[in-house]
Formats: sequence, structure tokens, C-alpha cells
Amino acid sequence: MRQRNPTGDILLHLLLTAGAVTILIPLYITIVTALKTPSESAASFFALPGSLYLDNFAAVLGKSHYFRFFLNSITITAVSLLGEILLVPLFSYAVVRNMDRFYFKVIFMLTVFGIFVPFQVVMLPTIKLFSRMGLLSFPGLILLYLTYTFKKGAFLFVGYLRSIPLELEESAYMDGCSVFKTYLFIIFPLLKPMIATMIVIDGLWIWNDFLLPLLVLNKNHLQWTLPLFQFQFKNQYTFDFNLAFASFLLSMAPMIILYIFMQKYIISGITKGAIKG
Amino acid sequence: MARRKTPAERLTYTTFTLPAVVLYGLFFMVPLLLGIYYSMTDWNGISQSYDFIDLENYRNLFSDNRVLNSFAFSLRYALYLVLIINVLALIIGLMLNANIRAKNLFRAIYFFPAIISLVVVGLVFDQIFYHAVPRIGDLFSIAFLQRNLMGNPEAVFWVVLFVSVWRECAVPTVLILAGLQTVPSELIEASILDGAGSFMQFRKIVFPFLIPVFSMNLVLTVKSGIMVFDIIKGMTGGGPGTATESIGILIYKKGFEEMRFGFASALSLSLFLLIAVISILQITVLRTKEAGQL
Repeated sequence: MRQRNPTGDILLHLLLTAGAVTILIPLYITIVTALKTPSESAASFFALPGSLYLDNFAAVLGKSHYFRFFLNSITITAVSLLGEILLVPLFSYAVVRNMDRFYFKVIFMLTVFGIFVPFQVVMLPTIKLFSRMGLLSFPGLILLYLTYTFKKGAFLFVGYLRSIPLELEESAYMDGCSVFKTYLFIIFPLLKPMIATMIVIDGLWIWNDFLLPLLVLNKNHLQWTLPLFQFQFKNQYTFDFNLAFASFLLSMAPMIILYIFMQKYIISGITKGAIKG
Repeated sequence: MARRKTPAERLTYTTFTLPAVVLYGLFFMVPLLLGIYYSMTDWNGISQSYDFIDLENYRNLFSDNRVLNSFAFSLRYALYLVLIINVLALIIGLMLNANIRAKNLFRAIYFFPAIISLVVVGLVFDQIFYHAVPRIGDLFSIAFLQRNLMGNPEAVFWVVLFVSVWRECAVPTVLILAGLQTVPSELIEASILDGAGSFMQFRKIVFPFLIPVFSMNLVLTVKSGIMVFDIIKGMTGGGPGTATESIGILIYKKGFEEMRFGFASALSLSLFLLIAVISILQITVLRTKEAGQL
């Protein structure tokens, strides 16, 4: 055991608390301002609200299709993740078991190459192409999320699958299992921890993403996601910042609630994904 | 030993890859090739016809003040972001790893910014710097906070950087924390018995185990720094003037607002070149230095 140094100990906790306050102050300001009347905010920006004033939320909800946007965000995130779970492990399994063949080697190399190409490089032609194909909509956005999560996901899964011994599936083949059945009953269950990691990382990214919805959904008002709604709502609160903070809180709330309950899984998912990547 | 596969099995494997290959080919490779083609045209993004102008756009990149300005901004921004975040993440990671009270609560708070959408972070801080910060300045009579920092071309750089650090420190910090768990406690104990001071202990024993995490953090922050878009779009939109016009913001403006599609395509490919050069440099430099494995 190390001996404890009381002065250092106090200093350490003070520093950590100061950092925590810096992180939480914006959230504090958001919450109290959302609950105040404009005149209360004018009197003191930082004080707690005098009473529970909920009209700001009512105004934001009245001026926008908040619940619709919330539902849009959920649908887009869920469908993209579902597609990814169907697509990525299947692709990666086929690649890992056929690395000696030209076709599989080439498609895997092209996929890894794609990881190095930032979205902004393909942004302009992608949007032109989508506009011409009539895909500037919900389904189009999901296809793009599938494409981009596929690149990184395949890299992660191929790395993981390489560590799974062949013997497991050999015996399944001996018993007469087809390739697909082997995948479904032997391999896929082994991938559950990786899939959980993928859901956390990509779910967080898709839910919070702003640039793609801005490019793909901007003209379809009713298809907006929460971050896009938040950005567009900017024009409505130019003169009323209580309203602004109420809308911020509404946008952040679903994620904050999820974080409070799933904090452990979210942090470990992000950590694992980054370390394996 | 791997069995020989029957032709039917080979066909199954190929089928497994088809959905992904079609998706990736159609929505990633095709746009990439189209982008290379457009970058050699003078297309405005809308008109039916346009001319093939060879490498004209690329030549013009070097004489365009806004392009040079955006590269200077993004590189300077990335440099500070990398320095500040990697130092802060190390310090916070070490503090969180120490024998402290309420460890899990602190960890949850320090990770919190990572779950909030970048653009929402930008919008929240935009309002805070607009309304709250000048009041803090009034309260404590700090002159430079009383002015509108967002309207000052030099100050706004630091404001945006501060907001990015606030949001983007979280993931590198928990990665450092994870890296610290890989240091064997026997080594630490042995070094204490040998009389190593805290600094010596960190340098000789802890740090080598952190090198893989550091290299990862470096890659993460360099890329997010150079490609910064959301926070700036939420806070300043690139302004005042062109003070916060990053490469990402400029590509967006040139391509979708100023209708210089061909030129913007050339700009975006030059961004790719920059990222590729940095990635290759990082990989070669870090490979030679990597000591431990996670």
C-alpha cells in the first residue's frame, strides 16, 4: 500500500471537482434558463428559477413537430443499426474464410482504403448522385449510414473473426451444416460482444450526426432528425433565448436519460471499439 | 487444416458479400470516382453542360486566398486541439485513476460531453458566449469577457477551440484510463521498493504502456481537428468574415452555396491528400515507437 498524502489528496479532489464543474456548467445554464421567464433571466442569468415555469417547453413543442423529429431520429438510428447487424458480420465472415482468394482480398482492401477517405471528400458527388436518384430522403439517409458504418465495422469484425478458431465450425460442417447454418448458429452467437460495441458506437454517431441529415433531409421538413431540428430552430429564437435553451434541453434529454441508465455500457462500448479499431 | 471448399460453398460465401459490395460500390466508390471527374470540370452543380478544364481547379487552389486561409485555420486548429486534448486527457486520466472518492461519478461526468451532438454543443455554447459570458465579465469586471468574443476574429478562434476541447476530451480521457489499467501492479510495487519517485515511475513504467493509447488518441484528434465542421456550423458558420472558415466549412459553402461545384471537388480531394499524408506519417512514426500492446 502507498502512504497517502493528505494535502495532495485534497488538491486532487479540488482539481477534479473544478473540472467537473466546468463540464456541468453549460448543462446547469441550459436547465435553469429553460425553466425561467425572460424577465427572471434578465434579473439573474445564473440563479435558480423562482418557480417551475414550463411555458418555454410548451412554446417549443407548439412551434415544432418535436415528437415527430424524435421519432424520426429513433427510426433512422434503429433501422440503420439493424441493417448493419445483418450486413457487416456476414460480409466479414465470408472475407475471413476466403482471404486466399483474389476477389475477397480485393474487396477487403478497398473497404479498408475507404476508412482513410473522410466523408467530406465524397460529400459533394454523393449528394448530387442521391439527388438524381431521388434518394434525398429517409431511405437514402439510411443507405448512407449503412455504407459508412460498413467500412469501419468490416475492419473491426474481420480483425475479431480472425481470432476465432476454425475447429468450431469444422465440426459443424462434419455434422452436415451448410455454410449459412454454420454462420447463423455457430459464428453469429460468438459475435454478440462485438455487435454490442458496434451498436453503442454507431448508434451514438447516427443519433447525434448533423451533417448528413442537413445534406439529405433539409428540404423535407417533416423528415428532420433532432440535431437538424435544433439547427433549424435557431431562426425562431433569435430574440428569445429562454426558448433556445428549452429546445436544447429537449434535444439533449433522450440521450441524457439513456446515459444515466446505461452509462457503464456506453463508456465501455466506446472504449472497446476504439481500442480494437 | 482448412477443408477444401466445394463450388456451392464458394458461391454461398460470395453471396454473403454481395449486399455490402453493391452498397459500397454504388454509394462510396462511384461518388469517389465522380468526384475526381468533377474536380476537373467547371461545373456549377446545376447546369446541364460544363467543360472539362483539366487541372485548372487544382492550380487555382493555390492562389485562392480563402482556400489558403481555410488550410491555415484547420491546421492551426488541429495543432492546438491535439496538444491541449492529449495533455488534458493524460492529466485527467491519471487523476481519475488515482485512489479517489466517487470515482464512478467523476468518470461519468467527464465522459458526459461525448454523448451530446456536436452541433447542439455548438449552439448551446453560442448562446452561452452571447448571453452568459459577458455577464460573467460584468460580474467580475473582466474587460475582455465583457466584449462580444464571438465578433472578434482572433478571440473567436480560441472560443471555438475551447468548445471543441470541452466536447472532445472525453473519449481520449477514458482511453487513457483504459490504458492505465494495462500497467501491471507488480511493476509499480517493484518500482516503489526500488525507491523510484512519482515522475520517474511514470516515465519509466507507466508511460510505455500508454504509447498505444496515445497513438490512437493522436489519430482521433488530428482527424477531428482537420475536418472540424459541426461545432463551427453551430457557433459561427465560419464567421466573423472568414475567421473560422475551416476546410470543411469552405467545401460546403463553395459546393452548395456559391455554386462552384468543380472547384469545391478539387478542394475536397486536396483535403483527402492532406489526411492521407498525415495518416501515413502517423502510422510510420508510431509503428517504430510502439512498445506495448493493448
